[in-house]
Amino acid sequence: MIIGMKDTAKLVGISVIAGCAVFVCTLFLNYNIDIAAIKGEITTEAGMAMYQAQVSTGKVTASVSGGCLVLTSVVMLLFYVKNYIDTHSKELGILKALGYSGLKIAKHFWVFGLSVFVGCIFGYVSAFFYLPSFYDLQNAEQLFPEIKAQLHPLLAFFLIGVPAIGFSILAVIYACLRLRHPVLDLLKEKRGYKIKVNRGVTKDRPFLKDLAGSTLRERKTLVFFVAFSAFCFSAMVQMSMSMEKLSSKTMAVMIIVIGLILAFMTLFLSLSSVVKGNTKTIAMMRVFGYKYSDCSRAVLGGYRPFSYVGFVIGTLYQYVLLKIMVGIVFADIDNMPEYSFDFKKCAVTFVLFILTYEIVMYSYAQRIKRLPLKSVMLE
Amino acid sequence: MIAISNITKSYGTGGNKNQVLKGISLQIADRDFIVILGASGSGKSTFLNVISGLERPDSGSVVYGTSDITKLTDEKLTRFRRDNIGFIFQQYYLLPNMTVEKNVRMGADLTGNREYREMINAVGLEDKTGKYPGELSGGEQQRVSVARALAKKPKVLFLDEPTGALDERTGRQVLDYICRLHKEYSFTIVMVTHNQNIAEMANTVVKMNSGNIAEVYTNERRKTAYEIGW
Ligand SMILES: Nc1ncnc2c1ncn2[C@@H]1O[C@H](COP(=O)(O)OP(=O)(O)OP(=O)(O)O)[C@@H](O)[C@H]1O
Ligand SMILES: [Mg+2]
Repeated sequence: MIIGMKDTAKLVGISVIAGCAVFVCTLFLNYNIDIAAIKGEITTEAGMAMYQAQVSTGKVTASVSGGCLVLTSVVMLLFYVKNYIDTHSKELGILKALGYSGLKIAKHFWVFGLSVFVGCIFGYVSAFFYLPSFYDLQNAEQLFPEIKAQLHPLLAFFLIGVPAIGFSILAVIYACLRLRHPVLDLLKEKRGYKIKVNRGVTKDRPFLKDLAGSTLRERKTLVFFVAFSAFCFSAMVQMSMSMEKLSSKTMAVMIIVIGLILAFMTLFLSLSSVVKGNTKTIAMMRVFGYKYSDCSRAVLGGYRPFSYVGFVIGTLYQYVLLKIMVGIVFADIDNMPEYSFDFKKCAVTFVLFILTYEIVMYSYAQRIKRLPLKSVMLE
Repeated sequence: MIAISNITKSYGTGGNKNQVLKGISLQIADRDFIVILGASGSGKSTFLNVISGLERPDSGSVVYGTSDITKLTDEKLTRFRRDNIGFIFQQYYLLPNMTVEKNVRMGADLTGNREYREMINAVGLEDKTGKYPGELSGGEQQRVSVARALAKKPKVLFLDEPTGALDERTGRQVLDYICRLHKEYSFTIVMVTHNQNIAEMANTVVKMNSGNIAEVYTNERRKTAYEIGW
């Protein structure tokens, strides 16, 4: 066994995200299936309009949030596999040198799919317990006859079995691709630093600027994650504030909880791996006499602009999404409140965002401060 | 001058307590070339880390000129290292994602030295400035780390087994570069090794034995890197 349970435990981020995705999808899809079964019993016109609206809302919500979350977990999974191979490249290189084929090693990466399995089960089960209250909520105006929540095995299979198997296969295939490097590159921990355009043309930039630049360039996935984290924060918090008026309090709470979980998970994941990936560099800089603040600014500071970009995109995204949803889905329903962009909410969210971001950054800067010099050098 | 007195240091607590330095005192003159010899586990690296301000001793003092670095705050200690100390380690510890030039620049920028290319030339790496550490041989990497340490113009250079991972020929070459630069820039050298022969290059030799200094002597005539046995 190459990959221990301890390594898979680190994938708890993926479990949580997969759990959220399955939770949302189970609620809406299960509801859609059950409500379709009683379509014939709806007699009133208002009931029919509500039916149409709810079915489309369900589809949109399940595909948007589910799709978004699945995409995130795919990127995260690939990131974890790559990170595992990078940080264990010596051991894996030795295995390859001993004669293990890339595929033989890669096969072990299937266990990474377990994290998805656990998350999906958790999401599905908690959704199932929540279903009755969700059904009551959806039918609050009593436009439909009583709907009973039913278990749909096929849906369960598609929401638990398929993702788990899919992610396991994905992990193995991706690991196989990453392991195709020559043995020596793995052993020497060489990771394609050479692919740099401005090689030879040495620009006269101070070391700290260069370090900040190369930290970003080397881990582009993390730039994406940080931006994505800000995106989630901005989109979900603002959407949740509008949802309270447009839909219901429960919807608002659900959206904000999922948004915050996503935002913090991805932010913590990216920052921890930035700090971990640069431990040696930071230790060496400390030995030479660089200040803590210089180290943390060079390593963490470069991500700030990207988080602002993420915030702006998130704001636009939620505006467009809500505009479309209100315009299309609720078109036939009377006294649906008008939706327009709310600058005050946006400003509040932005202030909250900056506060949260800076606090998290500060805590990671403190972590850099506590890195022990000696343990790094004894390695 | 560095005046070290009564340094003690132990690791672990209670029954596991391991006293690594047992009250060491030593004086190191400016511009001296001193080698610390001793068996593996005798506490050489620990001693080096303590006198260079990487680790704090349990008791005792390390006085540079008039300031006792064991009394400095972390921040002041960092500034002290920045202004005074250079390091070279057995495992090089170059930054793998930076070119040779940038690695040297990491040292040079600390003290605002703009002439860092001079130092790259001094270790004979002028045609490798754009390479990454992974593309260099062990000896070349160690020469980069020599250039990096000296580019900040330190007053004291600490070396922990600088030739430990190198073969004889490459080891001599690295030592020769260090000696030449020592003559040119006249800093103090404190080098840890367990190779008896390298000690013949030094001015002062300190022999350590399980946490104590067993013997200190000076060499009448210092040999060059190419004269010593290996
Ligand atoms: N961080 C630490 N925690 C616990 N024990 C330590 C630590 N660092 C060193 N030691 C112990 O202190 C003793 C001296 O270690 P040190 O590294 O100073 O020896 P050394 O003379 O440099 O040996 P070598 O020639 O093998 O490098 C050893 O017994 C070691 O196990
Ligand atoms: Mg040692």
